Amino acid sequence: MSRLQAEHLYKVFGRRPDQAVQKLRGGTDRDALRADGTTAAVIDASFTVEPGQIFVVMGLSGSGKSTLLRMLNGLLEPTSGQVLFDGQDLTALSPAELRHVRSTKISMVFQHFALFPHRSVLENAAYGLEVQGVPRAERNRRATEALELTGLAGWEKSWPDELSGGMQQRVGLARALATDADLLLMDESFSALDPLIRRDMQDQLLELQKRLKKTIVFITHDLNEAMRLGDRIAVMRDGEIVQLGTAEDILVTPANDYVASFTQDVDRARVLTAGAVMAETDTVIGTLCDKGTEIRSADDVLRATPATVTESTPIIELFTPCSQSRVAVAVTDDKGKLLGVVPRERLLAVLGEPMTPAQAPQDAATSLKKVAGV
Amino acid sequence: MFRLHLGDWVDSAVDWLQTHLAWLFDFISSVVSGMFDGIAAVLSAPAPLLFAGIVAVIAWWLRGLLAGILAFAGFALIDSVELWDEAMDTLTLVLVATIVTLVLAVPLGIWASRSKTVSAVIRPVLDFMQTMPAMVYLIPGVIFFGVGVVPGIIATIIFALPPGVRMTELGIRQVDGELVEAAEAFGTTSRNTLLRVQLPLALPTIMAGINQVIMLGLSMVVIAGMVGGGGLGGSVYRAIGNVDVGLGFEAGVSIVILAMYLDRMTSALGREVSPLARRALAKAQSMGGGLKIWHHRPQPVVAVAGVVALALVAGGMGVFGSSDDESTAASDPANIGAGKKVSMGYIPWDEGIASTFLWKELLERRGFEVDVKQYEAGALYTGMAGGQIDFETDSWLPVTHASYWKKYKDRLDDMGSWYGPTSLELAVPTYVKDVKSLADLKGKASDFKGRIVGIEPSAGETGLLKDKILPGYGLDKEYKVVDGSTPSMLAELKRAYAKKEPIVVPLWSPHWAYNQFELTKLKDPKNLWGKGDGIHTLSRKGFAEDNPEVGKWLEDFKMSEDQLTSLEAQIQKSGSGKEQEAVRTWLKANPDVADKWTPVKKSAPAKGANGKDERDRAVEMAWFPWEEDIAATYLWKAVLEERGYKINLKQFEVGPMYTAMSRGQIDVQFDGWLPFTQKNYWSKYGSELTDIGSWYGPTSIEVAVPDYVKDVKSLADLKGKSSKFKGRIVGIEPGTATMENLKKNVLPAYGLDDEYKVVDSSTPGMLAELKRAYAKKEPIAVLLWTPHWAYSEYGMTKLQDPKKAFGEGDRLHTIASKEFPENYPQLTKWFKDFKLSEKQLAGLENQIQKLGTGHEEEAVKAWMEKNPGIADKMAPQ
Repeated sequence: MSRLQAEHLYKVFGRRPDQAVQKLRGGTDRDALRADGTTAAVIDASFTVEPGQIFVVMGLSGSGKSTLLRMLNGLLEPTSGQVLFDGQDLTALSPAELRHVRSTKISMVFQHFALFPHRSVLENAAYGLEVQGVPRAERNRRATEALELTGLAGWEKSWPDELSGGMQQRVGLARALATDADLLLMDESFSALDPLIRRDMQDQLLELQKRLKKTIVFITHDLNEAMRLGDRIAVMRDGEIVQLGTAEDILVTPANDYVASFTQDVDRARVLTAGAVMAETDTVIGTLCDKGTEIRSADDVLRATPATVTESTPIIELFTPCSQSRVAVAVTDDKGKLLGVVPRERLLAVLGEPMTPAQAPQDAATSLKKVAGV
Repeated sequence: MFRLHLGDWVDSAVDWLQTHLAWLFDFISSVVSGMFDGIAAVLSAPAPLLFAGIVAVIAWWLRGLLAGILAFAGFALIDSVELWDEAMDTLTLVLVATIVTLVLAVPLGIWASRSKTVSAVIRPVLDFMQTMPAMVYLIPGVIFFGVGVVPGIIATIIFALPPGVRMTELGIRQVDGELVEAAEAFGTTSRNTLLRVQLPLALPTIMAGINQVIMLGLSMVVIAGMVGGGGLGGSVYRAIGNVDVGLGFEAGVSIVILAMYLDRMTSALGREVSPLARRALAKAQSMGGGLKIWHHRPQPVVAVAGVVALALVAGGMGVFGSSDDESTAASDPANIGAGKKVSMGYIPWDEGIASTFLWKELLERRGFEVDVKQYEAGALYTGMAGGQIDFETDSWLPVTHASYWKKYKDRLDDMGSWYGPTSLELAVPTYVKDVKSLADLKGKASDFKGRIVGIEPSAGETGLLKDKILPGYGLDKEYKVVDGSTPSMLAELKRAYAKKEPIVVPLWSPHWAYNQFELTKLKDPKNLWGKGDGIHTLSRKGFAEDNPEVGKWLEDFKMSEDQLTSLEAQIQKSGSGKEQEAVRTWLKANPDVADKWTPVKKSAPAKGANGKDERDRAVEMAWFPWEEDIAATYLWKAVLEERGYKINLKQFEVGPMYTAMSRGQIDVQFDGWLPFTQKNYWSKYGSELTDIGSWYGPTSIEVAVPDYVKDVKSLADLKGKSSKFKGRIVGIEPGTATMENLKKNVLPAYGLDDEYKVVDSSTPGMLAELKRAYAKKEPIAVLLWTPHWAYSEYGMTKLQDPKKAFGEGDRLHTIASKEFPENYPQLTKWFKDFKLSEKQLAGLENQIQKLGTGHEEEAVKAWMEKNPGIADKMAPQ
C-alpha cells in the first residue's frame, strides 16, 4: 500500500468553489476562472508516494505547490478530491482526529523555519511532543535525541535567534523528527539558506533518510535540488502537475517545452546516471578496440573498457575514461555482470539539448523507459 | 436647512434607557462602586509611608534601586502635600477602570483578531468611543449612574477601551503567520495556539496597550472630578474653580507622580512577563556599563517577601489604628445625627461656600457625618435630583436658576429662602467716572477692550446677561462676554483694580467684593435684571422626611446681610482650603447662632428609637396591585392616619419591593404570601427583613367555575369536558409561581394537560373575562385564590383538589424592614395583633371593587362605618 495517495485534488479560493471545480472538470481554464474572481490553486492533482520515498514537488512560485502540500496534512481542506494516508481518507476526518494525525503521524518543516522565538532550542524541538502530551522528562529526552540526529547536540539551552539560518533549520528538522512521524512535509525548507549550507543540508537529509527511511514530500522551486533529493518528481505549473517521473525522465524526455526550458540549466552530467544513458551491449559488438582487435562478446568489452561503473554512477565520472579510449565504458551490476555500455557518442548526445521523443535514438528511448519503470 | 433633531432623539433614547434599564444601571453601579470601595479600602489601609515603601519595593524589583528610591520619594511627596487620600482615590479609580477595561478589551481584541467581520464592526465603534470628547460621556453617565465615582469610572472605561482592544488585536495579528501554521501543523488546538503561541508573542504589544489604558485613565481623572469623582481630579477641579494655583500645582504634580510610576511599572512589567523582552533586557544589561548599584534588582522572591512583610505591618497597623475616632458620645442629646451621612453639594460661589461650610460645621456639631463636594451647576442639580446629593444652599430663585428648577422641580424639595432679596448687576470700579448706568456703557467699548469679564457660562446670570441685558441696552454688538469662572472674574477684577484699568464685571449682592473694592453697581433703568432672587435651600425629594430635624432646621434658617458678608469676609481672609476653620472662627464671634439655627429638643416624647416620637418619621408602605393587598394597605393607611401617622404609599412589583425593603427604603407591606409563593424572595432577602406575623390564612389557590356549571365540582370532573370550556383555563400573569404550578403540576396530575391550555393573561384580564362569561352564563374555568372578592361577587365553585396538587396554602404575612420594630415599636405591636377574617376581607375587597380604582380610601371609610370599632380593635390606644 502506498503511504500517501492524492486523488484528483482540487483547491479553489474564492466564491462558489464547487462550481469552479465543475467548470474546471468541464475544461474551462484557470484564466477564465480568474476573471470571475476565483483562483484555482491546485487542479486535478493525483500521485502516490511509497514508504521510504522522497517525493519532490517542483514548480515556480504561484504554481500551487505549497497549497498542494497543505492539503496533504489537512491545513487546507481540498475543494474536491481525496488524500489517503496509509489508506485513511484525511478529508473525511473530524477536526480533532485530524489534529491527532498531525500531531503523531505527519510533521512539517517550514521555509522560514517557524521556530517559536519564546522557546529555547530544546523546547522548540520538543513542541510536537508537548502537544501530544508526552511527559516532560521523556519529551526532553526524545527532543535531545532528535537534536543529536541533526547535529545540534549541546545547543539545547540556546535560543533560536542565537543560531545561524542553517542551524535554525536543523532545529526545525529536529522538531519534525522528534515526533516520530512517518511522513515529513518539507515546504521549501532549504530555500532560505545560502547555497553552501543548502548543499550541506541536502546531504544531511539524504544521510538521515538512509538511516530513518521516512516518507518525505519535499517542495522546491530549484530543479537541481529536486534532482538531487527526489526519488520521484512532480513538476507543477499553474496548479497542474505537468510531469511526474524520475529525475532522468524529466531531463531526458520532458513532457513539454515548459519542463524542457526548466531543465536547461540543470547540470545534467551530475544528474544523469550511467544506467540511464547506457546502450545495449550489442551496439559495440563488432567495433574495434584500441589495440585493433574486434570486440565479439561481453567479456571482450569488459576486458577492453577504460572503466567499469555501476548504473548509479553520475555520467560526469565517465568523461575522463571516455576521453582516453575509443571503447565504450562498461556498466555492470554488483556481481560484475555487464548490463550495458556507454559509448563516447552517446555521452555527447545526452548532454546536448533535450530531445523530443521523436528525435531520441530508438534504443536510448527504450532504455530510458526501462529506468523510469514505465 | 432642515433641522435634524439628532440631539432630541438621543435625549429620548437616554430617557427610555433610564426608565427601562434602570436595574441594569443599578447593577453596574453597585458592581463598580463595590469594586471601588473594596480596592480603596485596601489601598488606604496602610499608613502612607508604609504604602510608599511597598510601591518602592515593587519599583526596585521591576526597575532597580534608583527607581525604588524615586518612587518612595514621589509618594512621600504626595503625602507631604496632604493629598494622600485623594491620590489613593485616584489610584483606585484608575485601577478599577483598568481592570474592567482589560476584562472587556482583551477578549474583544482576541475576538477581533480572529474574525474579520468582528474587526470591521468594532473598528468604527472604537473610533467613535475614542474621538467623542470624553466629557460628553459624563452627561448620560450622570443621568444613568448619578454623580460620584461611578460615572467617572464608566467614562474612563469607554475612553480607555479602544487602545486596549486595538493593541490586543494588533499584537495577535502581528504574530508571524508561519508560526501559527507551524503550531497547527503539529496538531495544536486553536485554544492552545492562542495560549501558547499567539498570546505570549503578542504580550509586549498587549502590555503596551495596558500601559495606554492606564495613561488614558489617569488623563480622565480630572474630568471625573467634575462629576464628583473626587480624588486628585476633584482637587484639580476645585483649584480651577478657585483659581488656586498652589493647590492646582500640588494636585497636578501628584497626578504626574502617579502617572510616571504606573507608566514605568507597567512597561517594566511588560518586559518581565514577556519571555522575549526579558531576554532582550538581560542582553542589554550584560553589555551596559555605568553604576551597577543603581540598576541592582532584587530577586523576585526577595521583592515579594519585602512587599508581603510591609503589607503585613500595614495591615496590622490598620487594624490597631482604626479605633481612634469615636469622639462624639452616642448618648449626647445633641448627637441627633448619630453618625448619619449627609451629603452636600455646592457651586464655588462665595455665598454658597459660606453657607455650605456653615451647615457642614453645624451638622457635624449635631453628630452628622457631612460630605461636601464642589460641582458644576448642572451636575449639582442632576446629582440632587438623582438622590446622590442631599441638599445645597445656593439656589437663586425664581430667576437665576429658573431653568434648573423648571427641569428638576419634580424631584427636588424647596426648603425656602434663607436670604433675600438679592440683586444681580454689572459693576465697574468707581475710578471709571462716567459710567453709572448700563446705558452709559454704550460707545465705551474701547475703554473696556470690548469685553465683559464674565463668570461660569452655565451660570444663570451669564444667560441673563447675554440674552437680555446686552441686547436690551444695545450693547451686544459692542461687548463680548468672556466666559470664565467666578474666581477668575474676581482675580481679573483684582488685577485691573490694582492697575486702575477700566473693567466691567457681572456681580451680585451680597458680595464681599463690594467691601473689598470700591465699585459702582450700574443702574438698570429698564429693569431687565428682573426682581431680586431669594437664595433658596433645595434638597432631594424626601430629604426632610428622612431627616426631619435637619429639614426643620433648614426651613427655619435665615441669615442677615451682615451675618453673610462677615462670614464671607472671614472665609476670604482664611483662604481656600480653610473654609471650615473660618466658619469656626466666625461661630466663636457669633456664639448664639448655632443653637438658634440647630435647636436641640429638650425632651422628646420617648417612644421610638433615638428618643423621638415614631410618628415623626413617615412610614413608607409598599403595595402590590392585588385585591387583598389594596384592601389591607388602604385599611391601615386610614387607621394609622387617624392615629397621627404619616403614610407614604408606593406601588411595587414583588421583586423590586423585596429589594427596596431589604435596603431599608420601604418600611412595611402586608402581602407576603409565605411560606410558598414568595419563597424565593424570602430566602434571598429574609435575613434583611422582619416577619411581623400573619394576618390572614390559610389562603388557597384553586381553579374555579361559576356555579351554573353544574356537573363540575372537582378538578377531576374537568376531564373530558374541554369542549365545554373551549379547551382553556383562563390564567393570570405568566411567570408567576402560581401559573407555573398550574401548568407544570396541577394539570398533569389530573391528566388535563393535553385537553386544556392555560391562557396567559393578567389578574384584571382574567376577572374581566370571568365577568363577561358570567353575564352570558358561558362555562368558564379560571385560576383564582382565596381570599378573593370574586367569591362574594359571583356564585363560584372552588374545584376540589383531592390530590393536593396545588400544595398547601400560604398565609398572608406582614413584612417589614429589619429596623422596623426598633423604629416603630407601637406599630409593630399593632401589626402583630392584626387579623382579618375571610368575611371581613372579602367584604372590604368587594367594597373597593364597587367604588372602583382611585376611590380606595372612600371605600375603606364606607366599610369601616359598616364595621364600627374596627379601628380601635386594630390600633388600640
